[in-house]
Amino acid sequence: MDVKKKHEIEAALATEAQAISSGQLKEENPLDVSEDFRAFCEACRRGDLKVCQEKISEGVNINARDKFDYTPLILASLCGHYEVIRLLLENGALCERDTFQGERCLYNALNDRIRNLLLSYDYAKSTNPLQPLAAHITSLLTRPTPKTTDITITAYGQEFQLHKFILAARSPYFAKKLATAPSTTTWKLPHSIPAEALGVALQYLYFQEVTIRRALFGLSDEQELVVLNGIDKIGKQLEIERLFEDITEVSDRRLLRQRRGDELERGRDQLDIWFRENVLRHKMTVDTDKVDNIQWDRDNSIFADILLRADDDEEHDNPDSDQTNRSPGPLEVSVLPVRNTAGALLGLPVRNVRSRSPSRRRRPKRSTVYPAHRAMLLRSEYFLTMFSSQFKEAQDTKTLQIITIDCSPAVLETILTFMYTERADFGLDIAIDVLFAADQLFIEKLKQRAAIIISALGNGSTSAVESSNPRGETDKDEAVDIYEVIRAGWDTRVQRLEEFAARYIAYRLENYIDQPEFAELVQESANRVKARQETDTVELVDDIRYYLSERFRLRFEDSGLDGMMDEDAALKASQADLLDSMNHFALADEAPQEMKTDIQSAVDQQIAAGVIRNLDGEEVGDEFAQDAMNYQILLGKIDTLLERLNLDA
Amino acid sequence: MIAGRGRQRIRPPRRGLHGDEIDFENTWATIEAAFREIHTKNASKLSYEELYRHAYRIVLKKKGEQLYNKVHGFERGWLASEVRASIQQLLSPNLLAEAQGAGATSPNERRVAGEKFLKGLKQAWGDHQVCMSMLADVLMYMDRVYCADHRRIPIYNAAMVLFRDEILNSPISVIDARAILGLINHVILDQIQMERDGDVIDKQLIKSCVWMLEGLHEDETESEEQRLYNVSFEKDYLDTSRLFYRGESERLLQDSDAGAYCSHARRRIYEEDERCKQTLLESTGPKIQKVVEDELIKNRIHELVEMESGVRFMVDNDRLDELNLVYDLNMRVDAKKTEITRAIQKRIFDMGTGINNDAVAASQAPVSVPAADPAEKAKGVAQEKSLNQQTVAAIKWVEDVLALKDKFDKIWRDSFDSDPLLQQAITRSFGDFINSPTFPRSSEYISLFIDENMKKGIKGKTEMEVDTVLEKAIVLLRYVQDKDLFERYYKKHLCRRLLMNKSVSNEVEKQMISKMKIELGNNFTLKLEAMFKDMTISEELTAGFKKHVDGLGEKDPKRIELAINVLTSMTWPLESMGGTVAEEEASRPRCNFPLAVEKIKRGFEKFYSQKHSGRQLTWLANMGSADIRAVFPKAVQKDGSFKERRHDLNVSTYGMVILLLFNELPTDKYLTFEEIQAQTNIPHSDLVRNLQSLAVAPKTRILIKEPMSKDVKPTDRFSFNESFSGKFVKIKVGVVSGGNKVESDRERRETEKKNDDSRQFCIEAAVVRIMKQRKELQHQQLVAETLGQLNGQFKPEVTMIKKRIESLIEREYLERIDGAKVDSYRYLA
Repeated sequence: MDVKKKHEIEAALATEAQAISSGQLKEENPLDVSEDFRAFCEACRRGDLKVCQEKISEGVNINARDKFDYTPLILASLCGHYEVIRLLLENGALCERDTFQGERCLYNALNDRIRNLLLSYDYAKSTNPLQPLAAHITSLLTRPTPKTTDITITAYGQEFQLHKFILAARSPYFAKKLATAPSTTTWKLPHSIPAEALGVALQYLYFQEVTIRRALFGLSDEQELVVLNGIDKIGKQLEIERLFEDITEVSDRRLLRQRRGDELERGRDQLDIWFRENVLRHKMTVDTDKVDNIQWDRDNSIFADILLRADDDEEHDNPDSDQTNRSPGPLEVSVLPVRNTAGALLGLPVRNVRSRSPSRRRRPKRSTVYPAHRAMLLRSEYFLTMFSSQFKEAQDTKTLQIITIDCSPAVLETILTFMYTERADFGLDIAIDVLFAADQLFIEKLKQRAAIIISALGNGSTSAVESSNPRGETDKDEAVDIYEVIRAGWDTRVQRLEEFAARYIAYRLENYIDQPEFAELVQESANRVKARQETDTVELVDDIRYYLSERFRLRFEDSGLDGMMDEDAALKASQADLLDSMNHFALADEAPQEMKTDIQSAVDQQIAAGVIRNLDGEEVGDEFAQDAMNYQILLGKIDTLLERLNLDA
Repeated sequence: MIAGRGRQRIRPPRRGLHGDEIDFENTWATIEAAFREIHTKNASKLSYEELYRHAYRIVLKKKGEQLYNKVHGFERGWLASEVRASIQQLLSPNLLAEAQGAGATSPNERRVAGEKFLKGLKQAWGDHQVCMSMLADVLMYMDRVYCADHRRIPIYNAAMVLFRDEILNSPISVIDARAILGLINHVILDQIQMERDGDVIDKQLIKSCVWMLEGLHEDETESEEQRLYNVSFEKDYLDTSRLFYRGESERLLQDSDAGAYCSHARRRIYEEDERCKQTLLESTGPKIQKVVEDELIKNRIHELVEMESGVRFMVDNDRLDELNLVYDLNMRVDAKKTEITRAIQKRIFDMGTGINNDAVAASQAPVSVPAADPAEKAKGVAQEKSLNQQTVAAIKWVEDVLALKDKFDKIWRDSFDSDPLLQQAITRSFGDFINSPTFPRSSEYISLFIDENMKKGIKGKTEMEVDTVLEKAIVLLRYVQDKDLFERYYKKHLCRRLLMNKSVSNEVEKQMISKMKIELGNNFTLKLEAMFKDMTISEELTAGFKKHVDGLGEKDPKRIELAINVLTSMTWPLESMGGTVAEEEASRPRCNFPLAVEKIKRGFEKFYSQKHSGRQLTWLANMGSADIRAVFPKAVQKDGSFKERRHDLNVSTYGMVILLLFNELPTDKYLTFEEIQAQTNIPHSDLVRNLQSLAVAPKTRILIKEPMSKDVKPTDRFSFNESFSGKFVKIKVGVVSGGNKVESDRERRETEKKNDDSRQFCIEAAVVRIMKQRKELQHQQLVAETLGQLNGQFKPEVTMIKKRIESLIEREYLERIDGAKVDSYRYLA
């Protein structure tokens, strides 16, 4: 790699600044002095995953900079919070080589592990987070089966099979046109517009990366002119003013990326608005036993071609949970008699049916039905298979079919939102449900999102900064049932959750080590390994040991004794070191056999008394000695547990 | 669980996905019922969502294995009961009997029965695939989660294996233990046989059955070689095809000619190729090709080539297409194309030898012609005539060879796709017959051919045409092994052309030489070029001498102009010029020139020795010519006019000497032959020939001979013919012996002898060069290297090399190494 001279870099920065001030280029890291962003930066500094996740969900600009010119990524990288960095990168934080901020970020990385992580997310490899959505919509243009198109546009004998809902969402012109005549199935273009121009416009609407050069490839000058005029015209007609500007060739990579990013962002927002105003607004909540009476005509104002149903949870411990938990309450649609006539009727020809008898005393089970579009559902492999098969669901019926999705309405809404808009911001409360549903429906990205949310928010308030909680103090009000989480992780094969749970347990091992459920969990983990005939270690225990060493090592490093602990050395080695250090400090040597007493209560008493003791209740000299001791005791306990379970690890 | 105030809390999964058991049996019953519906094609009523959910739940409950086994069992049961029975129903007794080889049914019946069976099978297989893909859709979660984790093969693949086990490997019926698979093979093969016999069969149907065999594997490894198609069908197919084609080739060889056989074979190959593409699998293509090629070509090619209507017939009748077929077939089985190469080589050699023999016969025939006509012509004339005949024969030989070459070039180009191997072979064969030891005249003939063209042939031709002629000569020259012999002849002919100014164009001569230079190298043309150089130097000399004479101020109007060619004796083959042998040269008495001529001769000698001291000039009067202005006295002409006539006579130097004698002689006097000889001292034979041309040739009868006859006898008397008249002012008196002649046998022996002598030097030089470099060398190696070195010039005989080595040892250039195991020599410095 050639190294640029200082004056060259300065010149480049100056041109960039000029481009930004003249509005040609958007600033990649705009100054942000809002309180929210300050809090975000603070969280990155401290390594508070939870706050970071919350702030990201709230939508702060992840690539902004504070008044000291620091970006969140630089802060996290400088302070060495690996998990936070990963979270930021996964949410689109930029770290590009050969840029000022990017190099700063790499230069500031606390250790090699972080540096490598940053490098692995270099822009060249990462893509726009909206790309999967865009790619899917683009693929709809050419996907022959299953058939999801509902309108044909013809220009000069060339036919384009399209989707009304995408056209309506992306082009105000189509939105108006289709609102007045939702049942249109064909549309002819005025003769002044060549098919190529229409093609370009449609590709643009379908999020394909179009460039003029590609569109004009192989055309003569005359044809070129005609097509260019056509593009201009159709852009005006369809009210996509930016079309022409956006497909003009630019050579600058960064500008190109920005423009693409902007376009995707805007397109997503359009879809999002449309999704809210049409799909979500037309969801219906009815009694479960009446759900089969719902009949939607195939010609409807929102062009839905399938109905998805989700039933409320059957038995709730708390009957009021659905009021508190449900995001915006379902739109209650007034009862109308079934009408099957097609065509536009007073605005929306949407009909739904509720039971003729008003609700009874005892509240019956309720179901929510969402209208949806197969084209978008295809993003899930489950639906793709379903609609490609020969089963009932794949057949064309006069009224729309209702497909039950095995989850709560809130979860279904989350899933739909994700499939339409790539947005996946949901609370911890439904995270596990989303995880399972996404697993069942084969929506891998959503699964990962759920796992991220669980692992980022699941630590609860106590663990805001894990390194500052070396003594495993816990909030009494635990946010997660960690056993559920790890089992969910196993069931849905999400490595991240297993890691998260192991870490979680490791940092609070004192609380779990003696619970019978923990022993059960270890046994389960061991069985899993055996079933897969892999190595004869117990994964969970290995992970816990690893995180345990991390937990205590951080303490030793803080004390300036990191020389004793080789950063990357295996656990065994560090154990030996630790023994040395323990002898060095001439501390009482405790044998693991003495750990059978119920120590938990004892420890509580000791803490209350303000005496520093180790977990076995022995008094020790200072906090550091206590840590060293406790580490040893916990390791010992794990061994005992394994012995008791007859496991080999 | 309540969501915590201000903080969300995680909720356990709803509906108790953990812990509580689901009712496996009931769920399975639902699923099984649905599967049954699917198999009976009632799937449209089923809800994918519901089935998927059931399967999903079961897998999530860690009952994946149970589910897998149940599905597996269900499929097995279904195939074994329902599908197998329906297949067995399709089997007609005829079909079964036929498969055992006891067929008495007509092909048509067989075809119908076979098609029915295959159709049923295809149907069953298709249904199975469709159903299983639906099942696999429903069981997607099981495939992805359970199968991936537990390394089970996906249910779809497992079900395909079941089809193999339960249907294909099942017995035909309860009493008949043969497997259905065998029957399938038999039926397909039977159908293919029908197609070969010209019937139309349902290719698509067979193809789908083949696809089925392709999709299934013999064992669990699923490797390419283990496909049922490869393991079971393909082998049978190849075996039956081999038998079929073996029989067919035998029949065809007896019944039809080679051309028909070739096109048939080619059609068969194409057919099998197409069959693999349309009916079977492409991967079989190369294998069946090999079978067909082996049976139809490889094992038969020899017979084919040797057939009465084989390669020889095709070559003779210019059957280019058929030759191409043979070539094509041969190439398929043999990259070296041995058979056709051999046949072609033999043919070339035969035809070439034929041309050789014709040439020999033609050159000898005329000798007998005058013998049969005793009244005609004296012996000498007969000999002359025969020499001319030989020239014609030589030219005919060259043209024939060229025609042959053209023919085979065309065959090579059109029929053999310009194959380089065959080109080599053809070249070798041409070389073989041209250099055949029974025909030693090729070098001479080629040189003669060039000579003829240089003198006459290229007159009035365009540059392009001339170039083709030259190119032809070069082409032939390439074949000639003894290049030195050719050089010798060429030099001789060139010499004659140059001195006698017979060349049509000097440009063309030079062109030819540059062509030879490219072809044979610098060495070869060195002397030829020197000859040209001599010619130019001579021109300069002549001009220089003229100037010198002018400078003397001796303005003699009667002065004789001298044009002279000074030839370097080493480069010019002078000895062969006058028909005299080298040894005679020295002893030959000098010709007495007339005074005026003698004077100028001396003048030139003086002039020359001033320029180049130490060089001796030898005058070759027999090769010169002179222009004489002769005045004939007034005499009555045929047209009645009465005037003095002047003629410019172009005669040979000897002719001039003779004529000048008559200048001093009174008109009525004569000189006898002996007198002339005594006065001029011209060698006998030259004198005879010159007198013949001056006194016998009707158009140039400047002297009158008595008695008048064609022969010149010593007693003949000659006198000046005053009444001579010619139509033109300029008259060329040709000397009888000029022209390009094939050598007489005596001459040839001499030439060969000379050639051998010069070869001896070449060989010795080569041997010494090699030994100087190697110091010590074994005999065999030395001979081989010597042959290699001389390859460009000629091919020496090994005995000659041996003799040369002996001679070198005698002269102590080399010595034998004593005690060496094999003969070895050492170089003595």
